[in-house]
Amino acid sequence: MQYVIIGNSAAGTQAAETIRKYDSAGNIVIISDEPHAAYSRCLLPDYLAGERSEKTILFKSANFYGRNNVATMFGKKAVDIDSENQKVYLGDGHTVSYDKLLIATGSSAFVPPIKGIDESGIFNLRNLDDAVGIKEAAKKARRVVVVGGGFVGLEAAYSLYSLGLEVTVVERLSQIVPGQFDVKAAAILRNDMQAEGIRIITGDGIKEIAGPSLWNRLFNKTGKGVLLDSGERLKCELVVVATGTRANVGLTDKTGIKVNRGIEINEYMETNVPNIYAAGDVAETVDVVSGELGLSPIWPNAIVQGRMAGLNMVGQTRKYSKMIGMQNSVEFRNVPAIAIGLTRTPDDCEEMVIHRPHLNYYRKLILKDDILKGMIFVGDIRRAGVYAALIKKKVPVTKFKQQLLKESFGYSSIIS
Amino acid sequence: MKQIFVDIDKCTGCLTCTLACAAEHSSSKDIVGAMLEKVQPRISVEAVNGKAVPLMCRHCEEPTCVDACMTGAMQKDKETGIVSNENNDQSCIGCWMCIMACPYGAIQPNEEEGIAIKCDKCNGREVPACVESCHTGALLYVDGKTFTQEKLTKTAKALTEAS
Ligand SMILES: Cc1cc2nc3c(=O)[nH]c(=O)nc-3n(C[C@H](O)[C@H](O)[C@H](O)COP(=O)(O)OP(=O)(O)OC[C@H]3O[C@@H](n4cnc5c(N)ncnc54)[C@H](O)[C@@H]3O)c2cc1C
Repeated sequence: MQYVIIGNSAAGTQAAETIRKYDSAGNIVIISDEPHAAYSRCLLPDYLAGERSEKTILFKSANFYGRNNVATMFGKKAVDIDSENQKVYLGDGHTVSYDKLLIATGSSAFVPPIKGIDESGIFNLRNLDDAVGIKEAAKKARRVVVVGGGFVGLEAAYSLYSLGLEVTVVERLSQIVPGQFDVKAAAILRNDMQAEGIRIITGDGIKEIAGPSLWNRLFNKTGKGVLLDSGERLKCELVVVATGTRANVGLTDKTGIKVNRGIEINEYMETNVPNIYAAGDVAETVDVVSGELGLSPIWPNAIVQGRMAGLNMVGQTRKYSKMIGMQNSVEFRNVPAIAIGLTRTPDDCEEMVIHRPHLNYYRKLILKDDILKGMIFVGDIRRAGVYAALIKKKVPVTKFKQQLLKESFGYSSIIS
Repeated sequence: MKQIFVDIDKCTGCLTCTLACAAEHSSSKDIVGAMLEKVQPRISVEAVNGKAVPLMCRHCEEPTCVDACMTGAMQKDKETGIVSNENNDQSCIGCWMCIMACPYGAIQPNEEEGIAIKCDKCNGREVPACVESCHTGALLYVDGKTFTQEKLTKTAKALTEAS
């Protein structure tokens, strides 16, 4: 049996490990266009800040591939799949045959069409090579503009700030972390970052990124101008663009695999094409809260999906139980924050709130018919997992509803 | 594999287990030292409707905290079954993803050191310190399969059932 996995990250490595647990004889091949052993991209901001090295961002032990007898083809891009003859074509001309194929290609940074955005000195933060590039460029830079006030943008901002750079974040929408938190939570996080000295502009877009003028270039100066929709011009030497991600579905073009925003899979992680599975950021699964098919580009879900794919690829048939698509934990400076499930209260839902912005403290629960649909904790994130479990398992909270917002609420409150 | 079990009816809320836990995880290995070092206990005793309820990690079969860990620090040891983010090749960074994942709320943030703190079954100790210190018989260290006395409400079961 030949198992081929495209993508050497959370989902891919977890699948390989799982397959090996049940099949000691089969061949396992991992293909990756990145040349590195599997590292955690969640740690790239820490790498950027100099807090972690290329070694300490590895989330698997050094002997992972050897111990699991996994063949690696790193630095090679899969460019095509022939699903009829069960073959993967690589960019270097090689082909790899498979009996079972897992597409765990993750996602890539999405770059909006802005004038000047493809110039040098403009980076994304998705891969280790991006981080290496930013770090190198940061050495010669004094000012940086981060485009996008989402999770990755702010993490990048904070890392660069801690390197001593002057940082300005520009977010098009009226709040930071719009995809992950609500207005109140965002305001607390924003104040905390601004208190540190990071400038944050919201409600303004990027019109154009202009390279150094001819005059500056003559003197070997690399300065850029970032022109905002409002007319403001920000000077900087480095631009980091963090405006979201897109699933890497390009490979599926000729396969007939069903793709929406990601690869559609069933609860056995199978695509509609026989012997091809998908897992992680690239896959679309049903969200437990909304009941809808969608991407869930977060680390824990990539791990679980990778394992489920592995199990089903070796014939250990197991159903993927729906996960919560949105779960985020952040701590930019001092204020930890966690959001799970819904963060904005729909009209047909009820909310329970404690809001003490001066203490950097905020708790919000969203319920529908006494079933928890979402939560935001800012300042005190203890026992957030209990709420996540209540959301995931759709447990009615009627009996302990009045205790739900209390800090003392926890698993113990439920068992007695 | 031995597990720590709680017999809630027997717990009087004396907190001896929390002190013993802190002592065991301090460098001085005694209670006074643990207080000076400000060691956080990894077991907590909560008051629920006037009743004391001890709470600690269950070292789950398929731990959601391990799945959530983005550094790879949180691991379940294949031999001992202990789930811990310490003494592994990878180190904890305090991202709190495991806290977001644990349905028991059994992992605590150590804000000062920026790492997550949890029960490690006293890593290799024959009987965990909390169990040894418990005089009421509320904490037991027994084989997982032979002990079925833990009384759980339907809700609690629903919450933590393997998915
Ligand atoms: C800066 C940053 C911080 C983050 N922080 C968090 C966090 O705190 N919490 C959280 O839950 N999530 C976080 N995430 C998201 C998390 O990293 C992803 O959800 C996770 O990495 C997804 O894993 P994956 O295995 O699906 O894919 P990926 O990690 O995207 O890996 C896919 C791999 O496949 C390779 N590949 C793609 N196409 C091909 C091809 N054609 N041929 C060969 N190889 C290919 C890619 O190069 C890549 O190496 C963060 C992401 C970033 C970028």
